[in-house]
Amino acid sequence: MKNWASAGTIALAWLLLFFVIVPAGGTLSSALALIFIWGVAALSLGLVNGQLGILSLGHHGFMLIGGYVTALLMLPAAERAPERTRLLGDWAREYLDLTVWLQSLGLTGLAESIYLKFAIALLLAGLVSALFGVLVGLPALRLRGDYLAIVTLAFGEVMHLLPVAPEVARFTNGALGVKGIPPQAGAPIFAFIVLLLAILVFSRIKFSSYGRALAAIREDEIAAQAMGVHLASHKVSAFVISAFFAGVAGGMYASFLQSIDPQTFSFFLTFYLLVAVSVGGLGSITGALLGTALVVLVRNYGGLLEAPYPQASMVLTLGLLLLLWALIPFLFNRIRGQTRHLTGSQIGLLVIGGLLSLVGILAPQLGYLSQTEQLFGLRRILLALALILVMLYRREGLLGTREFSWNLLRRRRVEDADRLQDAWLRNPELFKEEKGARDKEGE
Amino acid sequence: MLEIRKVSKAFGGLQAIKGLELKLAEGEIVSVIGPNGAGKTTLLNLITGVYHPDTGAIFFQGQRIDKLAPDQIVARGIARTFQNLRLFTQMTVMENVLVATHQSHGSGLTASIVASPGHRKREQGQRQIALEKLAFFGPRLQGYRLEQPVYVLSYANRRRVEMARAMATGAKLLILDEPSAGMNPSETLEIGDVVLKMRQAGYTVLMIEHKMNLVQKVSDRVVVMDHGEKLLEGDYDTVVRDPQVIEAYLGKSDA
Repeated sequence: MKNWASAGTIALAWLLLFFVIVPAGGTLSSALALIFIWGVAALSLGLVNGQLGILSLGHHGFMLIGGYVTALLMLPAAERAPERTRLLGDWAREYLDLTVWLQSLGLTGLAESIYLKFAIALLLAGLVSALFGVLVGLPALRLRGDYLAIVTLAFGEVMHLLPVAPEVARFTNGALGVKGIPPQAGAPIFAFIVLLLAILVFSRIKFSSYGRALAAIREDEIAAQAMGVHLASHKVSAFVISAFFAGVAGGMYASFLQSIDPQTFSFFLTFYLLVAVSVGGLGSITGALLGTALVVLVRNYGGLLEAPYPQASMVLTLGLLLLLWALIPFLFNRIRGQTRHLTGSQIGLLVIGGLLSLVGILAPQLGYLSQTEQLFGLRRILLALALILVMLYRREGLLGTREFSWNLLRRRRVEDADRLQDAWLRNPELFKEEKGARDKEGE
Repeated sequence: MLEIRKVSKAFGGLQAIKGLELKLAEGEIVSVIGPNGAGKTTLLNLITGVYHPDTGAIFFQGQRIDKLAPDQIVARGIARTFQNLRLFTQMTVMENVLVATHQSHGSGLTASIVASPGHRKREQGQRQIALEKLAFFGPRLQGYRLEQPVYVLSYANRRRVEMARAMATGAKLLILDEPSAGMNPSETLEIGDVVLKMRQAGYTVLMIEHKMNLVQKVSDRVVVMDHGEKLLEGDYDTVVRDPQVIEAYLGKSDA
């Protein structure tokens, strides 16, 4: 219940932020939408990578399937014209249309609301993706560890290349991709509702007997089987539900971007999700969402990092960073009374940092280093660096497998546990029987 | 209850088990002893489905089980503990035991997502079973302990959790692989009490053990194995005085 409460607080906080502050159509609104959409994908990746403990590197493949299915089903009539979709075959052009399907079923009422249509299209996208999940999962999940990761990676890459193949291009329009997808399912509010559904599903899985069985497989496969857990069925079903939500997320992503091509769903998509899940905490739902928010914010607002700057200011920044690197740990330890003097490496850093800062300040005055440079790719480097740092210093991620709760911040949990333990151990009633037995033995 | 008929198992050129026969009646406590490499753990792995016998058959409650997978054998009513402890270390004591109740009392994926009333009832039922089995070990695995991750427990407590976990599967036959390994004398004595208590609760126990005082305390029957064969079978006193057994453990005297 505690977990539900904290999940609820977070959801409410998002909702408030969303309704009160964010103007529709702005950069923040699109960042939020991306957080929600990738959040669904991150949760689905988290189920497999965190809860079940199987490294899947192919989730961009499932997102691609979901994205294309949604895009084709929802493409408006105007965008289906032969000159707009040059490679799309006649069959796909005329019949791969949700409106046509619904009308032929006599459900014209459903076809009128774009949101309802999107809901149906996303459901279908998820189901097709889940079907692929079964096809990949059944043979692949016999493998373990690294081998399985390689197979899923291969699956993702096959999917990434598949839309370009001539036969498939009649359905996917090849490398040209599909353009003009309606944006409604990529709107923050739509994505938010889907995310809430996903949170509901994944938290129910986590806190159920089924979820504990998945965690047991992660902890020790042999012991899990020896306790009666059927390995194959649990692995495949978890993989399939994960593929379903990855497909749904892919569909929303297609709607968010409004135009997709095979490059949209490259391995970098899985990489971003992997960073989000690993940094937030493998096996934690709130952790995955926190990680997603972090990744999206760096990705969307990190543009400042890659803007053109004079060389001198870059040198200055580097120098200042080095100074901070030396000073922060020193000051931190000094406040805690653990140290009074600088270590050798700290002095070294200070000297180099000081020199660089000096160069950065003086060079422009002397007319050097005034050209501008751009550090392209710094955002990805930062995210990769975050992943490395987490793996080095906190492998379980920020939250581990726990869920976010306010107590976590206040450290009260720990004290509570200690108090409970003390009370328990001091209770003489509990150990009376045992003590009596020991005395008897002594006689 | 359990019947092993002429079972053999070889790993490459090594004949680990040779034509072994063994019968267990309901409510019995049987210890298997023997020097290292005698095939005791292989025998246990054959019963629990980790390995399948090359020849021979294993019957449990009249049904043949030697072709089944480990999880199917658990469902039939045989559960085990591991010599080197295989707990789910990052999970809590409670969760560890709850996992064992999954196959018999847990709900599947869809019921969990829908959270049907039946699902909640089953979750409650699972907790009840887990608490009942943990109560077997007195106050040690109660209260604040339930929500502690297993990795903070002492070695002896981990062994206790493993036994509680095996019982929670709903098994009738418990197979304990060296339950007293790594325990001090007083803890070993206590394990003896626990095993006797298991019989009172209606379990049949097959135990591999090295500590002879524990074997003496609990066993109705002792089976001695050497080189994959059953050397001897009988009550404790007959077995330990038998020259064959002494030879297997200590070697032949030259005189």
